[in-house]
Amino acid sequence: MVILKVEHLNKAFGGLVATCDVSYEMQTGELSAIIGPNGAGKSTFFNLLTGYHRADSGRVLFQGQDISNWPPHRISRLGIARAFQVSNIYLALTTYENVRQAILAQQKRTLNFFTPAHRLAKKETAELLEVAGLSQHAYMIAGNLSQGDKKRLELAIALGSKPELLFLDEPTAGMSGEETHETMGLVKRLNQEMSLTILFTEHDMSVVFGYAKRLTVLHQGAIIAEGSPEEVRSNETAQKIYLGEEA
Amino acid sequence: MDASLVFAQFLSGLSRGMMLFLIASGLSLIFGVMNILNFAHATLWLVGAYVCYTFWFLMQDYAFGLWLSIPLAALVLAAIGWVIEVVLIRRVYNRELPEQLLLTYAMVLILGDLIKIIWGVEDKLIERPPLVEGPVFIFGMPFDSYFIFVILIGLSVAVGLWWFLKKTRYGHIVRAAVFSREMVSALGIPIPRIYTGVFALGIFIAGLAGAVQAPVGSITLGMDMAVIIQAFCVVVIGGFGSLLGTFVAALIVGEVYAFSILFWPQGALVLIFIVTAFILIIRPWGLFGTPTRA
Amino acid sequence: MLRYWWLGLIFIALLFLPLVIGEFWVHVAIEILILGLFAVSFNMIFGYMGQLSFGHAAYFGVGAYATGLLLVKTSVPLPVALAVSMVTAGLFALVIGYFCVRMTGIYFAILTMAFGQMLYYIIFQWYSFTGGDDGLQGIVPPAWLMSAWAYYYFTLFIVVAAMIVMWFISESPFGYTMRSIRENADRTRFIGINVRKYMLINFVVAGMFAGLAGGLLGPFNRSIAPDLCNWHQSGVPVFMTVIGGPLGFFGPMIGSVIYTFLFAFVTGFTEYWPLTIGLVIVFVVLFMPGGVLGLAQSKFKTLGARDSMAETQGSMDTET
Repeated sequence: MVILKVEHLNKAFGGLVATCDVSYEMQTGELSAIIGPNGAGKSTFFNLLTGYHRADSGRVLFQGQDISNWPPHRISRLGIARAFQVSNIYLALTTYENVRQAILAQQKRTLNFFTPAHRLAKKETAELLEVAGLSQHAYMIAGNLSQGDKKRLELAIALGSKPELLFLDEPTAGMSGEETHETMGLVKRLNQEMSLTILFTEHDMSVVFGYAKRLTVLHQGAIIAEGSPEEVRSNETAQKIYLGEEA
Repeated sequence: MDASLVFAQFLSGLSRGMMLFLIASGLSLIFGVMNILNFAHATLWLVGAYVCYTFWFLMQDYAFGLWLSIPLAALVLAAIGWVIEVVLIRRVYNRELPEQLLLTYAMVLILGDLIKIIWGVEDKLIERPPLVEGPVFIFGMPFDSYFIFVILIGLSVAVGLWWFLKKTRYGHIVRAAVFSREMVSALGIPIPRIYTGVFALGIFIAGLAGAVQAPVGSITLGMDMAVIIQAFCVVVIGGFGSLLGTFVAALIVGEVYAFSILFWPQGALVLIFIVTAFILIIRPWGLFGTPTRA
Repeated sequence: MLRYWWLGLIFIALLFLPLVIGEFWVHVAIEILILGLFAVSFNMIFGYMGQLSFGHAAYFGVGAYATGLLLVKTSVPLPVALAVSMVTAGLFALVIGYFCVRMTGIYFAILTMAFGQMLYYIIFQWYSFTGGDDGLQGIVPPAWLMSAWAYYYFTLFIVVAAMIVMWFISESPFGYTMRSIRENADRTRFIGINVRKYMLINFVVAGMFAGLAGGLLGPFNRSIAPDLCNWHQSGVPVFMTVIGGPLGFFGPMIGSVIYTFLFAFVTGFTEYWPLTIGLVIVFVVLFMPGGVLGLAQSKFKTLGARDSMAETQGSMDTET
C-alpha cells in the first residue's frame, strides 16, 4: 500500500533550485534512505514534505490525501513526524518533559488548563524514554545531555507523535560508532516491530547500506538514481556524482 | 468639498508626513543598524524643540534667531545622542530584548522629568519670523507658510539620507552593518564607532525635527507620546530598516491623518492604527521590508 | 502539596497583616496585590510564552473602565462587574492579539505597544462615554467594602484565587505548551501544535487576568484615569518582572512588592517619581545584570523542571 506519494515537486529559493521535479513513492512499512552530497536538497525535501516550506509546484499525498502546502501542525497530526539534523529539542525542559510534551500534543490534551501536567501521560512517557534508552536521564535538563542523547531525545519526541511515517534527518550525526549502531538498531526495530514507515538521510555510507532497503540519490535537487543498495552501488551516474566524490 | 480645499489638506498632510518621516527615519536607521528600539526617540525630539526654544529665546531680538536656533538645536541633540550612546546604549548591545527596551524606556521617564525641571510645566511659544508668519494662498486657500518650510526640510533630509547611504563610503558601511555585523568588523571597522555615529545621526535628525516642530504651535509636555506611537506605525507600515518604506509610510500616515481630521477629528489616530493593522494583514513585514527579517 | 507549606504561611501572615499595620500601609498592600496580579498576568506572556508585551496596560485599563463604568452607570454588583471586566479585556485581547501573535520578538513588542496606545487614545478622546482625560469619578464600592480593611480582604481573596488559577494553568499541559513555544516554536509545530492559535489563547487569558486586576483598581481608588492604559503603565509589569525574575511564578509579585514600596516611599518626598524610577531602572539594567537576569537564570531550572518526580531534587524548588 502506498503511504507517501510525491508528484513533480519543485522548489527554488531565489535563483537556487533546491528541489527539481521530484516524484517519489513509499510503501507502508518501508525503511529507506535518501543520500546525496551536501546541498543536494535532502533537508529541503523533508521541509517540503512536512510543511516547513511551501512547494512552488507539485503535490504531496499521504495515504491518498493531498497534503500539499498544509501547515506543519496539521501534517503532524495526520501521522507524519520528523527528527531534525541539528537536534531540535526544548533545551530548558527536562528530558522527561520534552517527551511528555510530544505525547500530550498527540493525545490532544494541550488545551487542558487545569490538570497538572505531571499527572498525565506518565506511563506513555516512561515507556517511550525506555525505548529511546533515555530513562536514566529523565530528569536531566535537556540542554545538558550529551550530543548523542540529544539526538536520541529528538527521535523520542518524534515518536511521541505516534507517527505512521517518520522522517529522520541524519539521525546519527555526531554519534560515535557504537552509538550509531545502537540508534540504527532502534530505527530498525521501530520499523520491524512497530511497522513504522521510515525515511532517513545519512552521509555515513556504511549506515546507509547496512540498514536501508531502498536508496534514492539526490543531486542538485533532482533524483538521479533509485533502487536497492546494490543497484545504486552499481549505478554509474550515482557513482560518478556521489559515491565517486566520497571515495 | 472643492479641489482647493482638498489640495490644502493634502499639503497639510504632506507637512505632517514629512515631520513623521524625520522622526521615523532616525528610529528606523538606529533599529536597522543597531537592532535597538529607541523608545526615547520622540522624547529626544521634544527635547530638540525645547532646546530650539531656548536658543530662540536668547536670540529673539534678531530676525535670524530662529533660523540659527534650528541647526544649533540639532547639533546639541547630536551631542546628547553621542553621550547617551557611549554612556548607556553601548553597555546593552549584547543584552536581552527586555533589558534594552527597559533602558530606552527609562530614558523616556528620565528625560520627561528633566524637561519638567529645566523648562517648567508651562507651554512654550516661539514667535515666528515675518517670512513664515502669515499664510500663503494656494489656489485661493490659505496655507500656513511655515508648513512649506517643514516640507522642504523633510525632502532635503530624505534626499540627504539617501545620498549618504547610497553614495558615500560611510553610507555603504552603515548599510553593510544592517546585514551583517561580522562582515563589517571583518573589514576592520570598529562596530562601536559605527553605532555611536549612527545613533548620533539618528538623534541629530530627531533634534532637527523637534526644532523644526517648535514654531508650529506651542511646545507642550507630553507631546512626544502621540508622536512616538505614530512613528512606530510608520516604521511598521514601511518595513523595518527601509528608508524608502519609511518615507512612503510617513506620507500615508500624514495624509490619512490630514483627511480624516476633516470628517472624524477624534478618530484620526485610531484610523492610523486601522490602516496599520490592515497593511500588517496583507504584508506582515511592511510595505518595503523583506520577509526574512521578521 | 506539602512542599508549598510556605505559601500557606505567607497567606496566613497576609490575613493578619492589616491588624498590625496602619491604614496607609493597608492601601499600599492593596496596591501591591492589584499590581502584582497585573504583573503575574503579564508574565504569562513574557515568562511562559517568551514574548515581551509592551501594551499589557491596555487590558488592565479596559478592565478598570468596564468595572468603573458599570459601577457608575448601573447598579450591577461588584463581582459581576469584575467578571464583565475579565470578559471585556479578553475580547479586546482577542482582537488585538490576532494581529500581534503573527510577529515575535521586538516586532511583537512594538505591535502590542502600538495597539495598546490605540486603546488609550480611544478612551482618552471618547468624552461622552469614558469621561476622556477627566477620567471616571465616583466609582463607589458596595457598602460592605467601603473600609480599606474590608477592601483589602476582598482584594486578597480575588488575587489569591486568580493566582491559584494561573498557577494551575502554568502547570497544566497548556502551560507546558507555552514553555515549549518559548523554547522552540518550530519543534512545537512539528509535534502538531498550532503555535499561533495557542499564543492567541494565552494572550487572551493573560488579558483577562489583567482586566480582573484593573477592575479591582477603580473601586479602590474611587476613580480611574486613561493613564492606566498607556505605555507607561505597560512598562510597570515589565520592570516588576525583570526585577523579580521572569522565570519563577511568583517573581512578578515580588517585583510588585519592591516597586510599590519604592513608589510609596519616594512619592512621599518628591514629585519626580518618573525620574527616580528611571534612574533605578538604568541602574538595575546596567549594574545588576547578574543580579537580575542571573537570578532569573538560576530560576530557569525551577520553571522548566518542576515535575512530580523531580521532587526528589527538592533543593531546586526555592522560588522566593
